Amino acid sequence: MENLSYLVLSLAAAFCAYRAMISKHLLPSTLYLACVSAIVSISLYMLGAFEVAVIELSVGAGLVTVLLVYTLSVVGDDTYDPTSIIPKPFAILLIAAIAVLAGWMAYPVVIHPTANGEVLLADVLWKHRVLDVWVQVALIFSGVMGVLGLLSEKHQQPKEQDESQVLEKEETIAAHAKQEIHV
Amino acid sequence: MTLSPLNILLFGVVLLLAVGFYGLLITRNLIKIVLVLQILVKAAMLALVLAGKASGNLGLGQSVAATVIVADTIVAVVALALAVQVRRRTGTLDVAKISTLRG
Amino acid sequence: MTGILVGLVIGIPWLGAVVLWQTRDEHPRLQHGLAVGFSILAGLASLALIPFSSAATVINLPMGRFFGNLTFIADGLAVTLSAIACVIGSLAVIFSVDYMRGEEQLNRYYAFVLLFIGAMAGLVLSGNLLFMFLFWEITALCSYALISFYNDDPRAVAGGIKALIITQVGGVGLLAGALTTYATLGSYQVSDLLSKAETMPTGILGLVAFGFLLAAAAKSAQFPFHTWLPDAMEAPTPISALIHAATMVNAGVYLLARFYPAFEHVPGWTLSVTLVGLISALITAFMALIATDLKRALAYSTVSQLGYMVYAIGVGGVFASQFHLLSHAVFKALLFLAAGAVIHTAGTRDMRRMGALGKQMPFVCNVFILGALALAGLPILNGFWSKELILESGLSEGPWWAYAGMVLVAGMTAFYTFRMTWLVFFGEARESLHVHDAGNAMKISLGLLALGTLTTWLLVTPFNSLLQSTLPFHAIQSLNLSELAVEIFTAPATYAALAMIAAGLGIFWMVRKQASGRSAAWMDALSRESFGFDWLNQRISNWTLGLGSVLQKTQTGILSWNVVGILGALLMILIFLVWSVR
Repeated sequence: MENLSYLVLSLAAAFCAYRAMISKHLLPSTLYLACVSAIVSISLYMLGAFEVAVIELSVGAGLVTVLLVYTLSVVGDDTYDPTSIIPKPFAILLIAAIAVLAGWMAYPVVIHPTANGEVLLADVLWKHRVLDVWVQVALIFSGVMGVLGLLSEKHQQPKEQDESQVLEKEETIAAHAKQEIHV
Repeated sequence: MTLSPLNILLFGVVLLLAVGFYGLLITRNLIKIVLVLQILVKAAMLALVLAGKASGNLGLGQSVAATVIVADTIVAVVALALAVQVRRRTGTLDVAKISTLRG
Repeated sequence: MTGILVGLVIGIPWLGAVVLWQTRDEHPRLQHGLAVGFSILAGLASLALIPFSSAATVINLPMGRFFGNLTFIADGLAVTLSAIACVIGSLAVIFSVDYMRGEEQLNRYYAFVLLFIGAMAGLVLSGNLLFMFLFWEITALCSYALISFYNDDPRAVAGGIKALIITQVGGVGLLAGALTTYATLGSYQVSDLLSKAETMPTGILGLVAFGFLLAAAAKSAQFPFHTWLPDAMEAPTPISALIHAATMVNAGVYLLARFYPAFEHVPGWTLSVTLVGLISALITAFMALIATDLKRALAYSTVSQLGYMVYAIGVGGVFASQFHLLSHAVFKALLFLAAGAVIHTAGTRDMRRMGALGKQMPFVCNVFILGALALAGLPILNGFWSKELILESGLSEGPWWAYAGMVLVAGMTAFYTFRMTWLVFFGEARESLHVHDAGNAMKISLGLLALGTLTTWLLVTPFNSLLQSTLPFHAIQSLNLSELAVEIFTAPATYAALAMIAAGLGIFWMVRKQASGRSAAWMDALSRESFGFDWLNQRISNWTLGLGSVLQKTQTGILSWNVVGILGALLMILIFLVWSVR
């Protein structure tokens, strides 16, 4: 029974990922990505990793989706030339080789779930791997700063505009940045 | 052959990875590349939790997976900001057209 | 004490290089003075080192596991060559005071000359293979920088780059040999390689041996790398005298001599060395017969004489080769500096435009004749003794056809030497050039070198005992002056060679009118193409450039192709993992 459900979940995730990759417009791709996120979250829950399942659902299906939608609104959802630069047969061959080899390596490793040691996630996260947490905090801060810096470069480009227009632009950028942080 | 459920999930991870890599090869849109990277991240995270479950150290597996999620989400955020800038400066998001190397 | 002296011999020139780099062109007398001072100090230090030489390791600094220990060994071979480098270096610097008067950027010139002198001393004194390679490359760098000293002249720059590339190719051979030794024996020390050479498997030892032969041939401009030395004559003449006659090109011969005991039993090695020496001597003597540029003719004769030294090592006469190295350094430096004096005042290097300069430049003419007689191998002068010693060991221990070739080369040497002397200093003046005799600084250097040409053969006894006592691995037979005289005058080889030299002289005297005119077209064509090797060099460099443009196409800058690269690497890692698990 468990085997079957895992099989169904895997196939569904692969199918959604495939659809996400194939579709011509980016908005359906984003929605399919959210589906993949949800499916992965369910399998994580079935494995017993409850906290990570919740994190995955809120970040993957929530944050990333909103990010992508916002970017699409800024950039525009144009369709580009779908013919890929790499010839398709070559790409399929390369991926098939990698998949077969990785599958070959995965196959003999028959994994049985070992009994969980009595270590709570909270203990692990905040005592043993507390350095990880600090690194993550630093990462988040630097990422936000970087994005702010990247997106606020807009007002440096046109130099001959007068100051009122520059101020206007700065306000809109600040508003955008605020929006982003809230999201 | 006695396949445990974890084995099946491992094959699922490989399948997701294959789809992700194929997408990385095929796509020409910068934002779609970010999207495909997210698929790869989910596959990697699933593999990490699987390893944690198999070795009995689920807490460690979960915390590492959480780290991976955070790190890769930041990567996605910054990559999207870069994509926006590329679009502003060169007017296109097509991978073939933004390269300025000759030869 | 020895350690301090070794440090001084290398350190004084390098300190001088740093100091001279700071000087500016507004104080030329300061520059000349400082350069002469530092080089003379270095020369004195190197001469002071000679009494202290021994086979022991002198300085021993651990430099970490990767580089081994930085050691210096001041044995007979090393102190002789470092003395030659420093003393002739100081004479060349004294000569440069007159030669480079009024030139610009002398700080660059003197700094590189002093850097070179220190590096050459370091190369021969080094006891660690990796550091020997380091010093080797520093000398190559200085050689390139000095050949291209007149960096506005495209020919000088081209000559410098050609020299650099060819000697670097040889340097790869030295590095490969050093690394292989480290991998097999676990140590970079020269003494370890010499003592444990028999324990290395034959294939590996052969790799090291031929790698060193490659490095030596490239550095000493032997066949098939003989094309760079004639083109390196664009350098200022004191540089040609110092680097390309007396010191740097001897580094290759030094390498072969130093490691001869380790490699003499490698099948085919001694034969290859003999062949390399023989062929180089033959073809460059041929090219010197018809050369019209004075310095090019001297360059060809340098390669030819180096061929003699390499041939001597090939047949087992290590002492003979080092003795000839000593004589050759002195008389070739003399010839180059005298030629430099002529070129400096005449303003041209073309011998066809000179003639009857002997009357106007008596001092230079006399010393040039002295050097020419030594080069040709006439009795009493130092060239005679060393060349006969080589020919004699060649007859007794080497293949007879090689010996016959070398005797032929002796005859050709006599021919082109006399041709050179005649064209420049005697005969009738083809152009009315106003020349004056050498300046005082030039006269000092030339005079000292001429004195050396007359007398260095007297040093054979101390030289021989020095080498015998400090080189434990080479089997050097003892030889003192009287034995030498007896041996030479009673050996039939001597009279054969003397007959050949007389024949060369005689033929020249008969054809002297034609010899000053144009030579036959086929000889010209052969010589110009360096027997086809210049064409080969050009083809190789063109092919490398073409490969570069072809490979440029793989850098597309398109993201998808970069991802293909990443996935390809992933595929290779997976293949490796799957294959190694099975």
